Amino acid sequence: MSTIAAGNALGATTAEIRVRARREAAPYTSPYLAGVGIGIVLLLSFVLMGRGLGASGAFSSVVTATVQAAAPGHAAGNAFYARYLVDGAAGPLGDWLVFEVLGVLIGGLTSGLLAGRLRWTTERGPAITDRRRLVNAFAGGAAMGIGAKLARGCTSGLGLTGGATLSVGSWLFVVAAFAGAYAVAPLLRKAWQ
Amino acid sequence: MTAREIRSPRVERGLAIAAVIAGALAAVAGTPTRPARGTVNVTELARVVEQEEDHVTAVELATWIRDGKAGLRVLDIRSDSEFVEFHVPGAARVPLAEIARMPLDSAATYVLYSEGGTHAAQAWFLLRARGVERVYFLRGGLYEWLEQVMNPRVTANAPQAERDSIRALTLWFGGKMEIVDTPSVLDGKLALPHSVGTREAIRKVRRRAC
Amino acid sequence: MAPFYELGRFGDGMSLVVAVLLGIAFGWFLERGGMGNARKLAGQFYFTELSVLKLMFSAILTAMLGLFWLSWAGLLDLSRIYVPETFLAPQIVGGLVFGVGFATGGLCPGTSCVAAATGRKDGWALIAGMLVGVFVFGEAFPAISVFADSTARGAWTLPQALGLSYGVVVGIIVAAALGVFAGAEWLERHAERPAQPTDVTV
Repeated sequence: MSTIAAGNALGATTAEIRVRARREAAPYTSPYLAGVGIGIVLLLSFVLMGRGLGASGAFSSVVTATVQAAAPGHAAGNAFYARYLVDGAAGPLGDWLVFEVLGVLIGGLTSGLLAGRLRWTTERGPAITDRRRLVNAFAGGAAMGIGAKLARGCTSGLGLTGGATLSVGSWLFVVAAFAGAYAVAPLLRKAWQ
Repeated sequence: MTAREIRSPRVERGLAIAAVIAGALAAVAGTPTRPARGTVNVTELARVVEQEEDHVTAVELATWIRDGKAGLRVLDIRSDSEFVEFHVPGAARVPLAEIARMPLDSAATYVLYSEGGTHAAQAWFLLRARGVERVYFLRGGLYEWLEQVMNPRVTANAPQAERDSIRALTLWFGGKMEIVDTPSVLDGKLALPHSVGTREAIRKVRRRAC
Repeated sequence: MAPFYELGRFGDGMSLVVAVLLGIAFGWFLERGGMGNARKLAGQFYFTELSVLKLMFSAILTAMLGLFWLSWAGLLDLSRIYVPETFLAPQIVGGLVFGVGFATGGLCPGTSCVAAATGRKDGWALIAGMLVGVFVFGEAFPAISVFADSTARGAWTLPQALGLSYGVVVGIIVAAALGVFAGAEWLERHAERPAQPTDVTV
């Protein structure tokens, strides 16, 4: 074999090794397939528990538990918190949704780990700073906290569960949520693009 | 920069087709419950009716309840408000539509009753068509129950043993026996649906039970 | 006959185990679909990539069809399935507010957990924001409870509201969703895309 060809072969092998060693994030699954997967999980929830999935309720439980720990009488006297005060040793944190959301954290972590998508970073558009993004995230979260409690659910509890069970209010919520999002998206363009 | 996304057009297309089929069939099906079919042996049923093996009297039912007959299931085919107002002790309310689809207990003996007996007779037919053999109905309906068990009228010259047994049965259910000159109207005869009469009878019974 | 828990097949302790397991699967698929990435999610609102729509409606379609046919087969008692109640005004207003927050934050309550679990600081910030938002709502609740409890319609379903049979509504939603998917594919191909090739077809 000539020296040039040998050199090429060596270079090619090294390049191959370099590509394999770099832990590249695996590509995402098709949203349709992931969606069907979630649909099956949702259906399983109906079959096993007679109820669907959710998320925002767990946040209410956490807040209620905190309020109760800080000012016991206050939580009991408030009609909103009272909904999440459950009898039992674990208190509000013994709620089904709290456990489900714990599962979501575990499942998300596991999938991200196996796909090489764990990264201590901030997802943001290129035109804004990390700090700006975190402020936006906090503000967006606060708005969603209020909106979700007013609507008694979020995209998981109303969108998925209410959507599948053909609940009128849930479908209205989803339409309104998309409407609200599309309405302010133009104002936030430089945050994302 | 977001990571890449793998797409599987063939699988996605297959899922879409499956969804179209499932959705179209759903639209055709309409309700999410499969129509249940029942079969009847008409000759057999005619024989059962003729030999009066299809119904029980109120006194028979009362005795079954008092003696705690195993597997007895008394079903009330009337409306919710009528049920709440008054029902046979231990009875469960089951509307006719539910009779058609409710899960069946193979060890049970079903006794059906309604206001006057017609709906109960129809429910009886439905359960026979579903294959239940131990099913009866109260031919005179709730009215028969009130007349024969809660407020029976016994003639003065009836034998002592009969009077004692009726009194004991009535007392067990919180009712009251009356001694009269003429016997109870419902003596073995089919009673016509008589809503006013039943309501009055219920009112009489309830006023006593304070 | 399902639902098993409702029919007494297992108890409260087991139901919490079930909750965790279902949650793990839920979180897994959300992350697989890239829903833990706020930038990807936000692409929905600029028509660059409509994964949120595709994922949500694929899930709804699957579960909705599953409920219908399991019930039809006599394997599931639909009357025992929890249907989220309708509160017309609060849900429309709440939806609008939620949507504004969604576009600003780029994640929803469920996906924020996935983002946080995979190390995204914005996920943590969003969770913190939501806890504060819920707290603010809780404190303000006595003042707005009349509105929050108004226009209740109970477990009102689309078949009831539209006067159509359950199956017809299911069929319409399937058709509409597939139409939306086709539209989404078209939009993604024709909207402005970044220069580098990002999709791989297998």
